[in-house]
Amino acid sequence: MYRILVYIGAVLLLLGASAFGLSLWDGPTAWHTDARTFWGIPISLFVLWIGLAHAGTLISAIFLALGYPLGRRTSMIAELSTLCSLVVAALFPLVHLGVIDNFYMVVPFLDARGNFANLRSPLVWDFCCIAVYGVVSLLFFINHLFSEKKPALKKLIRPMAWLLFPLVLWVHTIVSLDFAVTFVPEWRGAYFPLYFIAGAIYSGLALVIILLTAEHCRVRVLEKLMLSLSWFMAAFWFWEFLLKGMFSFEVFFLGAVVPQFMWLRVIRENTFGRLLVAFSILVSLGLERYILVTPSEYDVANAFGWLDLGLVAFSMGLFVLLFFVLRAKLSALLEGDDVVMGEIVLQEDDPAKMEVSESNVFSALRLPLLLGVLVTLVYVTWAVSCDSGVLVSLSVANIVPLCLPLLVLVASIVLCARPLWSILGNRIRFVAIVLAGILGVFVGAFWAGGGSDTTSAVVSVQELASAKSIEGIWASRCASCHGNDGKFNEKFVREFYPLPQKLSLERLDSLGADSLVHVILNGRINMNPYRGRVTEDEARGLVHYMRLLAGENQ
Amino acid sequence: MQVLWGCRRVPDFSGVSVPELAEFEKEVRQALSCSKGAFDLVQVPMPGAIRAPGASPLNRFGMAIDLDACDGCGKCILACMEENNIPLSPKEQRDAGRFMHWIEMHGGAPAMCFHCGNAPCEKVCPTGAASHSPDGLSTMMYKRCTGSRFCGANCPVGARKFNYVDSVKEGLVRKFNPGVPLREKGVMEKCSLCIQRLQDHKHAQMVAKPGTEWRGSGLKTACSEACPKNAIIFGNWLDQDSSLVKEAKHRNLYVPAEIAALDPSVVYMRGRR
Repeated sequence: MYRILVYIGAVLLLLGASAFGLSLWDGPTAWHTDARTFWGIPISLFVLWIGLAHAGTLISAIFLALGYPLGRRTSMIAELSTLCSLVVAALFPLVHLGVIDNFYMVVPFLDARGNFANLRSPLVWDFCCIAVYGVVSLLFFINHLFSEKKPALKKLIRPMAWLLFPLVLWVHTIVSLDFAVTFVPEWRGAYFPLYFIAGAIYSGLALVIILLTAEHCRVRVLEKLMLSLSWFMAAFWFWEFLLKGMFSFEVFFLGAVVPQFMWLRVIRENTFGRLLVAFSILVSLGLERYILVTPSEYDVANAFGWLDLGLVAFSMGLFVLLFFVLRAKLSALLEGDDVVMGEIVLQEDDPAKMEVSESNVFSALRLPLLLGVLVTLVYVTWAVSCDSGVLVSLSVANIVPLCLPLLVLVASIVLCARPLWSILGNRIRFVAIVLAGILGVFVGAFWAGGGSDTTSAVVSVQELASAKSIEGIWASRCASCHGNDGKFNEKFVREFYPLPQKLSLERLDSLGADSLVHVILNGRINMNPYRGRVTEDEARGLVHYMRLLAGENQ
Repeated sequence: MQVLWGCRRVPDFSGVSVPELAEFEKEVRQALSCSKGAFDLVQVPMPGAIRAPGASPLNRFGMAIDLDACDGCGKCILACMEENNIPLSPKEQRDAGRFMHWIEMHGGAPAMCFHCGNAPCEKVCPTGAASHSPDGLSTMMYKRCTGSRFCGANCPVGARKFNYVDSVKEGLVRKFNPGVPLREKGVMEKCSLCIQRLQDHKHAQMVAKPGTEWRGSGLKTACSEACPKNAIIFGNWLDQDSSLVKEAKHRNLYVPAEIAALDPSVVYMRGRR
């Protein structure tokens, strides 16, 4: 069964890979873009998959934090689906970018050139939240995966669940702000965070129900939750219709009407009935995201080209392949000696329930949270102080979206670092240190950026030396060869040097100011280098003076 | 390494065709034939100094477009293309009515970036490539742009243009003006209010008359220079002696309703008062 699914995934991936490659190669011209928003299928797929990535943690962490027990295998499947969806989701913003090389400029981390990302932009918040969500979900998954064997990790699960609980809701709120803070009329509305969270959980539940069906398992409580969320979504869609007149029959039918068939026992007891409902929800929400992202394209069938479909196939193939390959590789750890799946009914006096009391959870979280708050405070003060080059200054409110993710990141790393380190073997420790070193090199390289002469050449005019001094410099340094009037001093030059270049206006224009400054400072063929004798600002002034002279001579 | 870090790549012109001026003229005619809908205009007071830390108290450059004088001839579009090396669009884009022109006709009147004092595009730019100059220009740093197109989605009047294709390689661009760089594939661009002319003017004054305050007097953008009816007036809103203020004082000023609250620097003029 899994093997067949892996093959299906591989086929979809191969079919989609050509579309993916072409979109990388061609850039945003490859897929269909909306004339008004310039976006298109990659962002729709990103929003869809990031939504699907929420259900796993929701089911696992929030149920756990609230003390609602699920079978270990059930929650592990859900968490694995979260990680795989995150990988898929993370690819699409990269595809979307026009200049993929520059993606690192989105990281709010001052680089050596003094460039700082614009923290007012929801995209920056988005990037940080999702990166943190990925790291924390991975830590949670690892803890959960090895917790059967290592009791040290078992204690961490509930505190981690409490850290993840707010983060899940936060991340999708931020994703919704990508839309809600803009001026596009179709995207405006204070209800967007709730709408997005509901949509994310709804689609994620449908995905988890499909994945659990592959395990021959059925969790009644998830089905109930899904059904109740279908009413939320129906209410939101109705609200959108009243507010903006936006309504799509297909989305409403597949996402709000079809799920009501779960009321019928015949349908919900039948595997194919459940699968049908879950797939209809996924299609509905995928379509809804597409319509939302490209608001002026109501005719979706016409807008979709083969490349758009190829990207959809790529995302599905990648997820199926990743999920089921990992599922097969980890099956020994995932399943363990745990035969129970689905809900677990705990007795009041069950030792499992007594094992971790809430006070233990909070005492474990105390130090990590404190450190998290400290690091966040330091970051906020630093970020406010180093916003440069942008006229409107950054306010603390702009950094608030980053605070919780940063806090959770620091807290979860502090929480997990020691127990995880203690269970690692020597070889893995060595690998971990090497990996940390490589990561450090990458961060350093990001910080240093590339060599760039262009930014250092940007100089404000106020720093330009005044004309009097420039004339003086020209007379003392340059005129001996190039002449007082810019037509060279023929007598002197004939005697000592080959003829210097004519400083005609065409030639100056073709070289450009930056390279002329470079020539003055560093020399070229028979031209002497003047670095140390004239400053860069003076050189810039000289270039300007040359242009004036050349203009007069013409 | 160069590719990875997004450093300057020098465009290679060898072996690519460069379009003739006639093709640009033809494209402008095509753009004029599929003019966009007119804006809903609302009346506004004269733009004042930008209320933001770091804004210059002396200069705020802007334009006023005289709707009574303009006859929609489109000469400004061509002049702008020549000044700023704007590429032609691929044929299928052109036929769909999508052009790279920084000036477009909306209901028969030219519209470009309005250089809002409180610009929504700058707020959402993740890298800070879209930012404001102290002189009131909404500027673009092409090398800093990562092409997320968030600014384009957030511009209420759709003034931003995205470089979907490598116009040098496709032979769609001619470097009319050596002082303006050609934009790479994948970056946003829009009206710069001829920032290169401003910069040259400022340099020239600093060198010729050091110590004087630069107010940009006597300067014209390419479009205002090209206008046969003198319908586009460029100037400094904060300089009482500039031709812009002198003219706009006696006129009713209008801007598109979508951006009326965003403090635009480019306005329409109509009627006398």
